[in-house]
Amino acid sequence: MTDTSLAEAPWAALSNELRVSGARPSGAPDISTVACVTVHVDGPAVEVGRKQHPVGPFSAGRYGIRRGVRRHMDILRRHGVPATFFACGYDVEHYPELFLEIQQAGHELAAHGYLHEAWDLGEEEPALLEKTHRIMIERLGDAPVGWCSPSGRKSHRTLPSLMRLGYCYDASEKDMDRPYVVHDPAPGTPGFVMLPNNTVSLDDYPVYFTGGALPSEIFDNWVQEYRAIRQAEGYLHLTVHPKAGGGSGTPARSAALDKFLAVLKADPTVHFMTLRALAAHCLSQPQNWRPA
Amino acid sequence: MTRVMNGHRPATMLVTINVHGIGPEAATEPQSALYGRFAHGRYTYGGGLARVLDMLKRQEIAATFFWPVFEAERCPALLQRCLDEGHEVASHGNAFEDLSTLGDAERDVLETARDRLAALCGGGAGARPAGFRASNGGFSPRTLEHLSELDYRYDSSAIDDDAPYKLAADGGGAMIELPWSEGLCDATHFSRRVTQDRAYAHFLQEFDALIDVDGYACLTLHPRADKGVGRAARLVMVEEFLAHARERASVEFRRCRDVALSGDDAAMASAKR
Repeated sequence: MTDTSLAEAPWAALSNELRVSGARPSGAPDISTVACVTVHVDGPAVEVGRKQHPVGPFSAGRYGIRRGVRRHMDILRRHGVPATFFACGYDVEHYPELFLEIQQAGHELAAHGYLHEAWDLGEEEPALLEKTHRIMIERLGDAPVGWCSPSGRKSHRTLPSLMRLGYCYDASEKDMDRPYVVHDPAPGTPGFVMLPNNTVSLDDYPVYFTGGALPSEIFDNWVQEYRAIRQAEGYLHLTVHPKAGGGSGTPARSAALDKFLAVLKADPTVHFMTLRALAAHCLSQPQNWRPA
Repeated sequence: MTRVMNGHRPATMLVTINVHGIGPEAATEPQSALYGRFAHGRYTYGGGLARVLDMLKRQEIAATFFWPVFEAERCPALLQRCLDEGHEVASHGNAFEDLSTLGDAERDVLETARDRLAALCGGGAGARPAGFRASNGGFSPRTLEHLSELDYRYDSSAIDDDAPYKLAADGGGAMIELPWSEGLCDATHFSRRVTQDRAYAHFLQEFDALIDVDGYACLTLHPRADKGVGRAARLVMVEEFLAHARERASVEFRRCRDVALSGDDAAMASAKR
């Protein structure tokens, strides 16, 4: 079954590029699917943002800090997968060592709000985006180039603010199954690309928290998504949360992530990238990534 | 291919598509907020609806698409594709208004929605929609009367029977009701963020029991990614379900208007009550 509306071989240029650079062996098969693993750290920032004291009953976020993040890093290390970790400014302020550890392991750190603000920020939005941006530069020594909205909320102020701060991608839209360039690179600007996330079928939180799925059910769902995506746009954007209470930090749910990454790793046509690397690729050839 | 079993007409299955794009969000959120989580609906335009049309083509099924004017104005090419590929275009109101709240304006809103959709479908005799389904909220006490006066032949907003029935007793004149099933609607399950396998299990169990009652079932799908089946993996599930329906009950896939205009009492078992 082929879908006539889809482009053929979306990753042909990337396959060639990586073979030429030596990043992929010369005999490696063409890439069918680019897999981006994103880890939404969502530590105590979430509870503090809800005006809850983030210990005792409201300590789901602390689970990520105490257990989940390192468990996910261990899984990623074993599979040799580079990931993108989205961080809230508050968490970076309070647990800088953990985020430096993530950075030193070769993963990307990107911005995810200050207190995981899930409400309408109004005119304060640009200042809050800048606040977390500054915290990440000060504590981690590196400016993030990507952002994903906490809760998925955005406004007409978001994109101009991100571009002013030098960001080149947003991972919050849900309207297409592939990246799309909204601003071409130009002198003085890196350009801007949307890297849509999939909060519907490839995000642990809604399916566990609202859908009541078992870890084995979410594994099956992810494998079905992978098989369908492999035949279609070949863009697999997975989101996991190392927190407790709806996330994947706990042992049984981390095991489902581990097993799913093993399925992807067993396919030599799947190529893992950070969102930053994918954004750079798309922006290097914007003509191939226009919105439909 | 359908089989006639024991001399009876095969079971009837309606495949209905509620064309929801960004309309539901636009009806409640300001334009400045239609991004990210309030822009799931754009998936319909970004590939979801084309995928659903591709699936129906593969399955050789003529379906009924309920189009709000709001969406028809945003994607005229996809509306035209529906018509070109033999699907029925029916009315889904204007812009996700709640009919129960319109008061004296209701009749005008319904008439405008009907005429505007007909114009977008090219105007002329065949363009006027024969059927209506509410897109949001409820009916007023006068909705069925308005629809009947506007020459609609059927409504498909209700969930109160297992088979079509006549609406005369409800003030709907000569219209018939083609009820849909909550359990055979993708949004029922996916808005609860269940896995594909669970939604499939719901579909199967609901269908197997329902189709034996009066030989009628109405499947309702949405092209969105969140509450619908626009994603490739979910359409795999839908196609497996359609294969099951063909196998289990030798269903004949019919468009709503064809059932409503057939005057076929066998397809309207409970109308005899």
